[in-house]
Amino acid sequence: MITVSKLNKKFGDLHVLKDINCRVEPQEVVVVIGPSGSGKSTFLRCLNQLETATSGEVIIDGVSITNPKTNINKVRQEVGMVFQRFNLFPHKTALENVSMAPIKVRKMPKQEAEKLAMELLVRVGLEDKAAQYPDRLSGGQQQRVAIARALAMRPKIMLFDEATSALDPEMVGEVLEVIKSLAREGMTMVVVTHEMGFAREVGDRVLFMDEGMIVEEGPPKELFSSPQNQRTKAFLSKVL
Amino acid sequence: MDFRWHVIQDYWPVLMSGLRLTIELTVIAVSIGTVIGLIVSLFRLSKLKPVGWLAKGYVDFFRGTPLLVQILLIHTGLPPLLGIPPMPRMMSGIIALSLNSGAYIAEIFRAGILSIDRGQMEAARSLGMTYGQAMVNVILPQAFKRSVPPLGNEFIAMLKDSSLVSIISVQELMMSGKIIVGRSYRPFETWIVVALLYLVMTMTISQFVGYLERRLGKSDHSE
Ligand SMILES: Nc1ncnc2c1ncn2[C@@H]1O[C@H](COP(=O)(O)OP(=O)(O)O)[C@@H](O)[C@H]1O
Ligand SMILES: [Mg+2]
Repeated sequence: MITVSKLNKKFGDLHVLKDINCRVEPQEVVVVIGPSGSGKSTFLRCLNQLETATSGEVIIDGVSITNPKTNINKVRQEVGMVFQRFNLFPHKTALENVSMAPIKVRKMPKQEAEKLAMELLVRVGLEDKAAQYPDRLSGGQQQRVAIARALAMRPKIMLFDEATSALDPEMVGEVLEVIKSLAREGMTMVVVTHEMGFAREVGDRVLFMDEGMIVEEGPPKELFSSPQNQRTKAFLSKVL
Repeated sequence: MDFRWHVIQDYWPVLMSGLRLTIELTVIAVSIGTVIGLIVSLFRLSKLKPVGWLAKGYVDFFRGTPLLVQILLIHTGLPPLLGIPPMPRMMSGIIALSLNSGAYIAEIFRAGILSIDRGQMEAARSLGMTYGQAMVNVILPQAFKRSVPPLGNEFIAMLKDSSLVSIISVQELMMSGKIIVGRSYRPFETWIVVALLYLVMTMTISQFVGYLERRLGKSDHSE
């Protein structure tokens, strides 16, 4: 579903991603962990080219998105992204946030898009908030709307960048619950998270990133219980 | 001092027609300036360097030279430059005020657009929207809302600055004042009333902008 080969990203002199290779199979949930500043967000953002790769190739569902000739907007329609800071559109209601992209990008009739949006709001448990503007919603509610908004494009892949890091602790659960339900339904996902319990429970595979490299990877049980690499051990001893 | 206020009464129709023209000039200039400003602000943010430079050159010129000079330059210089017959004074006035206003409004919109969190554009693009779709549906509506107060100020500034087209004898309020003084020899009474008329207009606008701000503030979901 996703193939990353020899991916490099530099910000000026700063070499943030170093020769990343990785594959994500259909329906697989890959969890990315690692210290802050290790390049997790940058890696994720290269997967939909919010960051342009400096070199290397990213192939999404058979399409090379690092090829400048590729229509990136088409590919992004298939790749949903959820941000740490929600990034809901503040001038639109929850329902409008969710229905906007189907209307503007997929050219779906408004009524149909609103019906779809409503279904998705029901799914994330927010049907009663449809008419509210984001500033009237709690962080957890905003993030659930943001997930519904991404799902409205019917993506084949979902990317989560620390979706619960900006939330008050009591709201983390409700958002993780939605992500888990997606995993159960077989959504292909790449999830950057600091929630190790969640990584262990939901991840099919865990990637540990440090200093722009994938230092170690494996099934969560193995990686968490018997890490091989020194840096993985050091990191896990701090967070577990 | 010996006031002769009847002068004002005698020339009231002249004042009123000047007042009308001042309002017309301002409304037209700010309207055209808004369209120019929007386009130029988008040009300035363009990734194409030459487009950006062109837009910056325009803004720098019209903000960095006196409006009075711009008016004279456009009235006397534009027709020969374009190889067209001399323009009516009113036309020169409108062009000069619009171009000047466009430069200031471009900066207002640019600041408005830049004030919108980067995450908004990223969220829109991540959903598959093009840059244009993201601008139109996500960035500009929020940027416009934030631009209302400075646009109100620009409108007030333009209302006052429109008096400068009297240099090419466009008979707006300022020019009407000059004409009345020339005929009546009562400068003090005349300029007091002209000043009051400008003041009434600017106060009215700032009241209106204040009201608009409060209304937008109430429905401001941008933070
Ligand atoms: N747009 C940018 N410009 C310059 N440096 C950046 C940019 N984005 C991220 N970086 C740098 O790249 C490194 C990795 O950042 P990031 O991918 O956000 O790490 P993580 O998500 O693992 O915390 C950091 O040193 C960060 O400062
Ligand atoms: Mg990050």
